Amino acid sequence: MNKKIGVYVCHCGGNISDYVDVEKVRTAIENDEGICLAKTTMFACADSNQKEMVDDILAQKLDGVVVASCSPMLHLITFRAVVERAGLNKYNYVHANIREQVSWAHSDNKAGATDKAIRIVKAAIAKVREAESLEPLKIKATKAVAVIGGGVAGLRAAIELAEAGSDVYLIEKEHFVGGRVSQWDTLCMTDETGKELVTRLYNELMKHRNITLYTGAEVVKHSGSVGNFKLELTLRPRYIRFNCTEEELQKAIDVCPVEVPDEFNFGITRRKAIYHNYPSEYPHLPAIDMNNCTRCGKCEKVCSHIDFSQKIKQVDLTVGSILLATGFDPYEPSEGEFGYGTIKNVVTLQQFKRIVHYCDNNLVYNGKKIENIAYIYCVGSRQLDGENKYCSRYCCTSNIYTAITVKKKYKTIHNYHFNRGIRTYGKQEVLYEESSKLGDIYLQSFEDDPPVVTYQDGKTMVKINDILTGHKSLEMVADLVVLVTGMVPRKDNATGELLKIPRGRDKFFNEIHMKLRPVETVIDGVTIAGASQGPKNIMESMNSALAAAAKSFSLINSGELALEPIVAKVDKQICEWCGKCEAACPYNAFSKLDVEGKTVAQVNKSICKGCGMCLPVCPVDAIELTAYSNKEIEHMIDALIPNP
Amino acid sequence: MARINPDFTTELKKYGVFDANACYNCGNCTAVCTLSDQENSFPRTMVRYSVLGLEEDIQMSLDPWLCYYCGECSSTCPREAEPGELMMSLRRWLTSKYDWTGLSGLLYKSLTASLTAFILLAVVILGFSALNDFNLEQLMHFGHYFEMIAIAGVMLIILLPNIFRMWRLSVYKAEGNIPIKVYAKALGELLVHMFTQKRTLGCDDSQLRWFEHLVLVFGYLTLLFTTVFLDWFSTGSQVIILLGYAESAVIFVITLLFMADRITRNKEVSKHSHPSDWLFVVWLFMMGLSAFVVRLFIDLQILDSNLWIYLIHLIILIQWALIIVPFGKWTHFLYRSFAMYFRKVKEA
Repeated sequence: MNKKIGVYVCHCGGNISDYVDVEKVRTAIENDEGICLAKTTMFACADSNQKEMVDDILAQKLDGVVVASCSPMLHLITFRAVVERAGLNKYNYVHANIREQVSWAHSDNKAGATDKAIRIVKAAIAKVREAESLEPLKIKATKAVAVIGGGVAGLRAAIELAEAGSDVYLIEKEHFVGGRVSQWDTLCMTDETGKELVTRLYNELMKHRNITLYTGAEVVKHSGSVGNFKLELTLRPRYIRFNCTEEELQKAIDVCPVEVPDEFNFGITRRKAIYHNYPSEYPHLPAIDMNNCTRCGKCEKVCSHIDFSQKIKQVDLTVGSILLATGFDPYEPSEGEFGYGTIKNVVTLQQFKRIVHYCDNNLVYNGKKIENIAYIYCVGSRQLDGENKYCSRYCCTSNIYTAITVKKKYKTIHNYHFNRGIRTYGKQEVLYEESSKLGDIYLQSFEDDPPVVTYQDGKTMVKINDILTGHKSLEMVADLVVLVTGMVPRKDNATGELLKIPRGRDKFFNEIHMKLRPVETVIDGVTIAGASQGPKNIMESMNSALAAAAKSFSLINSGELALEPIVAKVDKQICEWCGKCEAACPYNAFSKLDVEGKTVAQVNKSICKGCGMCLPVCPVDAIELTAYSNKEIEHMIDALIPNP
Repeated sequence: MARINPDFTTELKKYGVFDANACYNCGNCTAVCTLSDQENSFPRTMVRYSVLGLEEDIQMSLDPWLCYYCGECSSTCPREAEPGELMMSLRRWLTSKYDWTGLSGLLYKSLTASLTAFILLAVVILGFSALNDFNLEQLMHFGHYFEMIAIAGVMLIILLPNIFRMWRLSVYKAEGNIPIKVYAKALGELLVHMFTQKRTLGCDDSQLRWFEHLVLVFGYLTLLFTTVFLDWFSTGSQVIILLGYAESAVIFVITLLFMADRITRNKEVSKHSHPSDWLFVVWLFMMGLSAFVVRLFIDLQILDSNLWIYLIHLIILIQWALIIVPFGKWTHFLYRSFAMYFRKVKEA
């Protein structure tokens, strides 16, 4: 069937017509096969022209349209919508770029530009002749979301998804939820403790019957794609039965002979192999750390609920979308970095917060009363030579808040802030002012001349060439040096690797677009939230958690997904599985399929992005790309290079 | 390498400053100051030194004396850290550091100590008067000679050693030996600034302040001369009598204006009043007024029957000469002039 085609050649004001003779282009194609209508227009994108196009398509009963104008990045969607308004399938519209590719590129050669424009328009006409009407691919989507990470971002996202009506599987690697936030005492601006926040979220979580919480859980296998991800989890047991009483448990903890550094307190205290982070944590049941348990059996004798027969369990889940909220690790300073690990009264901000938690009336560390505290900022962040070029955002605020808290709690404290510029941005700025007014001393240096921490004659000295005092060399004796360490990506990126989530230069999970698509990843159906994406404070983590929850939910809400129909197709007759397409595919869309005893390649349409990487590598030419078929491309080439 | 002392601002608070810690080093204060220049850049540096407690650096600096307190820095400070008031407090603190007797510091820091000293002196004078049977002639004779002796004594015993200490801290310690020639060459600077305070004209506020101040200084110095050397209270010369009236009137009128400013707090410079500021201006006012009234009573020939007015004048005079002149705000007159002199010497 011969298509009735309409062509519009745009002046783009003068952007095109100053260099390309648009009238000549129009006359060059107006008598081509199938052309029913060929017009020039001052601005093809103008409302008036769009209306005229709709009228033309209806009046002339056109079934193919070409607009020769700017880049398709700018107006492909505009003109697809125009033809749809006139009742055509949008794939019967082809866009020809004669501005970026012609008039702007060849402003020095008007005749040549016009000739090139004619060829490009002819190629577009050749493509539109062969174009087929296509419908979006519809696939069934499971109305369930896996939220990986049970910190505050994960908890918040899970609650939001459950409230929206999705089934939620909340998967937490540790035995307790709350993540990093449960480790902090009072938090800035609201003065609530981290535990209070976690308690509120957990109580909310428990109200929703459509949330399943897995603790001690890890995703070990994954397959499928957006709409239908299949996840395999392993669940580590607690080795303690649920109906255990506090009393018996305490006895079991007391008799346990194993002591290891307590990670919950960043190593400043020790815990037993039977442990819980704090008495009212969630869920309310301790666990046995089998990496350190010696199986001595003493706990079994005092507590009847210890159960070493519990086995690692496996759970299979099917979900429509995955929300990653795997959090961060605090930066661990290297040995000797500002005296860390070599001078014993040098600690990190995270350790300091735990020290403050355990000290009631006097601030004491290593048996010594603390009065003069030196805070060294930007440790592990904004590195000149190291990998962490980014600012960790939360540390200035968090540290100044902690310094104020300490000053108010213990009275005799002097705070010295060795900073590189204070960034208590937004509503937190008042903390900086409060701290200065309380008499905290701020000293500043640039990254190439950091403060120096030394230990001499039993004293820990901090020295700086203070740029606020004309680079004067200043020193102080510190009872405690706090390294204000920032956020780094999780050391354990097993889940990210499993799901193939790309990471940015800073090694945090990468979003598609920093500003416009901040919670989606290039893996369709996988969203990211919280500090797994980059340093964030709690409020920002909540923002991203809610955004990611909304995004994940929007994918699965209708139970069906509409996908772009431009995907690769394998001709099963021709294909002789060689695996080259599978190796070339950046999205893992290929798999093997048995057809009557013959192995052929098969494309998962919900994964395929239509990039075309598989086409040239196929030795038998068995793959075609919808809307970019060999026939279409060949005709386009013929139009571009006429009469060799 | 200087050691930071966070307790210094607590000490400085006793001299009047209250919120220097609020400073976040923007430098607005130095930028708006019309007196600050490349060599003597203030007040930000002084605010910074104070916050860090770098006492030695402050003592070596003359900057606090180079500020004439227009208050522009305080009114533009985004943190309301009151840099102008900090400079004023540093002048008080420096005064106490220069003073070898240590009494300046005691009197600045404690209003109770100041009042006790004033009361004690009053009691001593009353006791002395009683011993002399309240004989007016004897008391007036004593008063006349006391002025001469007090000027010489205070100058020799207190002020000269203190100026030497100021020189040692701010010039010798900072710059080491400087040839005598330089000192001699710069001497003009001392006299010019002592008698004109022309540096005030560099401040951005009203020039009236400088004029009032200049008239007051001249009124004060000439009244001193008129009473001590022209013997105002005993002279028969009409010219000298009228001169004395004019001079004492100038003193109490201008100090009255100053007191009104401090009460209404209508200017940045009069917003914050330390007790020492009040004592200075009130005593100067009372000196002028009481001298005026004493001479008036002499002319009306009623002083004999109103001995009390001379007693009051004598008490005020002696309190002024023995407390405020050597240890109080009066010394600013000397230190400011010498600071300009020493600056010239240091720059040479």
